[in-house]
Amino acid sequence: MVKPPLDGIRIADFTWVWAGPYCTLQLAHLGADVIKIETRTRPCVTRVLPPWPDGKPGGMNRSGYFNQYSQGKRSITLNFKEPAAQEIARKIIAQSDVVINNFARGVIEKMGFGYDAVKRIRPDIIMISLSGYGDTGPYADYIAYGPAQVPLSGLSSLTGYRGWPPMHSGFSYADPNAGIHGAFAILTALYHRNKTGEGQYIDMSQWECAMTLLPEGILEYTMNGAEPERIGNEDLQMAPHGIYKCLDRPEKVAGNTIDQFVAVVAADDAEWGRLAKAIGRPELATDPRFAALAARKANEAELDKMIGEWTTSKRAAEVADTLQAAAVAAAVVADNRFLADEDPHINQRGYFAELEHPEVGVKKHCGIPWKMSRTECAVRAPAPCIGQHTEEILTQLLGYGHEEIEQLRALGALE
Amino acid sequence: MTSALAGLKILELGDLVAAAYATKLMADTGAEVIKLENPKGDRARYRGPFPGHIPHPEKSGLFLYLNTNKLGATLDIGKSEGFTLLEKLAAEADVLVHDFAPPEMDRLGLSYERLRKVNPRLVMTSITPFGLTGPWRDRRAEELTTWSAGGLIVLNGGGSAHPEMPPLKTFGSQSGFQGGVHAATATMGAVLAQARDGEGQHIDVSIQEVLASQLELTFEYWPYMKMIATRLGRKPIQPMEALECKDGWIYACCVEEHQWRGVVETMGNPDWANEEIFSDRFKRAENWEALELFLKEYLSEHTVLEVYKAVQQRRVPFAPVSTMGDLINSEHLKARGFFVEITQPQAGTHKYPGAPLKYGATPWAIRLPAPVLGQHNEEIYGRRLGLPQEKIAELKQAGVI
Repeated sequence: MVKPPLDGIRIADFTWVWAGPYCTLQLAHLGADVIKIETRTRPCVTRVLPPWPDGKPGGMNRSGYFNQYSQGKRSITLNFKEPAAQEIARKIIAQSDVVINNFARGVIEKMGFGYDAVKRIRPDIIMISLSGYGDTGPYADYIAYGPAQVPLSGLSSLTGYRGWPPMHSGFSYADPNAGIHGAFAILTALYHRNKTGEGQYIDMSQWECAMTLLPEGILEYTMNGAEPERIGNEDLQMAPHGIYKCLDRPEKVAGNTIDQFVAVVAADDAEWGRLAKAIGRPELATDPRFAALAARKANEAELDKMIGEWTTSKRAAEVADTLQAAAVAAAVVADNRFLADEDPHINQRGYFAELEHPEVGVKKHCGIPWKMSRTECAVRAPAPCIGQHTEEILTQLLGYGHEEIEQLRALGALE
Repeated sequence: MTSALAGLKILELGDLVAAAYATKLMADTGAEVIKLENPKGDRARYRGPFPGHIPHPEKSGLFLYLNTNKLGATLDIGKSEGFTLLEKLAAEADVLVHDFAPPEMDRLGLSYERLRKVNPRLVMTSITPFGLTGPWRDRRAEELTTWSAGGLIVLNGGGSAHPEMPPLKTFGSQSGFQGGVHAATATMGAVLAQARDGEGQHIDVSIQEVLASQLELTFEYWPYMKMIATRLGRKPIQPMEALECKDGWIYACCVEEHQWRGVVETMGNPDWANEEIFSDRFKRAENWEALELFLKEYLSEHTVLEVYKAVQQRRVPFAPVSTMGDLINSEHLKARGFFVEITQPQAGTHKYPGAPLKYGATPWAIRLPAPVLGQHNEEIYGRRLGLPQEKIAELKQAGVI
């Protein structure tokens, strides 16, 4: 295998929580040397959040959340109250291609690593800030937390059951979305730098990034002045198009009954005909109430009821298999257990990374969502324990001697 | 100033969102993208929204948004002459991005091995619902089923108060968008390796895997704790909810204690806020039904913007549940110049979402509106490939272009 695309590219990573770490995870997936610059006095909040192995909390290295999104990165701990630590960070930046942070506005400048400062250290540096609102504008100093960015983007007012209030997406979608757009932008800036020698600063607003995903809603408003109606799981041009209840999981998990569902879509009249046959009701394909899309949309409640009656006594996987055998788009509504243990496809593709971590052993983590035919494409290491690479980075990358390192430790600069 | 990807040449064979969004990202940052549509046209042309709600293939908002800055030509690569033209174009390109499902690829004879023969430098990116390998590679999929298979829909819905409501789809074409932006990222990685090594490669992007990558901490609850994450979990801390104000909805969000105190101050320190049952974030979650009543009473007398600005002054991360009108009229987004006006002669002039991020040195710009169907056939087949007029007419006649 040929070395990965970003072999030799170094990222000075000041990010925490989710958006930033999701961004630098993609760069690690592509082979970059991502150095997480951390501090023990204020570690990334995800280091101290669940899930914990076997439910037992403790330490800074055992969180499934952190261990998921920091795979393949290195960690150095620095205490920025000590000038010597700031000097180390400057030396890391001098040997980095990209500096990235997702602090609130002004924080990175106060630390001494704003764009003007890092540009003096390395003139062709690429720097990106992933903030909630961007660097400019009247709300630039507003505070942004992941869950609130989804409604802010407009996505919530578009999402919801018919006649219900606005709803969420169920996860802090704007975070990974900002992270992946940031990763794309960094790569385009590297492309430009490779051609011209010029670095640059990139200002990212998570809010704006999320709105780029909503053209159908935004253009309904700008073209027609109308706020789109919330339509649940329906689609304006396909029916049936829904999530249908199946049998619950046969056993309770952690004392709870786990309900299961299947997603089913007939994209056109022909697919509907195949679906009708597969559920044992071939006559419905030509029934005037359902034969054509307009009729199915007009009678969608009845249509959904019939399909639900067929699915309710079956296992979700069995429904999906039966319908797929009839060339109908259907999928189990996957939960984490289904993906990890039961989905034969994603497991056979080798998506999950299962590397030995010193404190949690081997656990399944989500891996790289693409495969590359020529260049190396694998998660190279589990997430780093806090400060795991401090000495390695100081000696091998920055040329510090062991005595100097002992002095830095005595000063408390490496906390 | 030149754009970041100036000089990069891309072919797109896209239908609906995934490939089109991947190449839009690249086109808007300066790459030359030639979009090759089946003569029937991309399905996004039929999705809308349409001005006046009147369907028209040149007026679909989704298509017009996704295909800015691209040259458009028609090509049926299922016909052998069509595939030959594709090979000629691929010989000159750096990148080809497509989102044909695997059975369609097989039917069309589209494969990396075949295109590699005409251009070993080519980076080819395949964006498919389940990837190109594995037992479900040929499974049929639409936006809803992919979002379900990726594990995200199970997290959203009526919540613990409404267990009877099914998992709820997030609006729009999010599987497609995420497939697109992740593919664009992997593709740019391969483009950098192409410049380094002088060789291309094939990238296989599974949208299911792209979505599973975004499960945050919820995926690891199974491997680490043998717990299943679903829409039914009760929130461990509160307030973390959308609540109704006098004129719309606001998302109340308090994670840290000082944030909650900021909200209490904003409300004028009411007595009820001192009750023991609201004294920390966990208790506020345990007693959410009572707390919600108090908050609703206050919010019903205030506007979204009043509350938003007042709590943000105290560093509390509330946010409006923005309507589309709120976005277009936002003073913040106006000051940043987020929305862009684009004129396309048939659809007219409308505001569209603009740059996802602002580059300091390399401009993001809309240079061209989306192409009408076959708009650049003459340019591509005549001027670039040098086919004579008669030949182009013949190809049209044969339904190849």
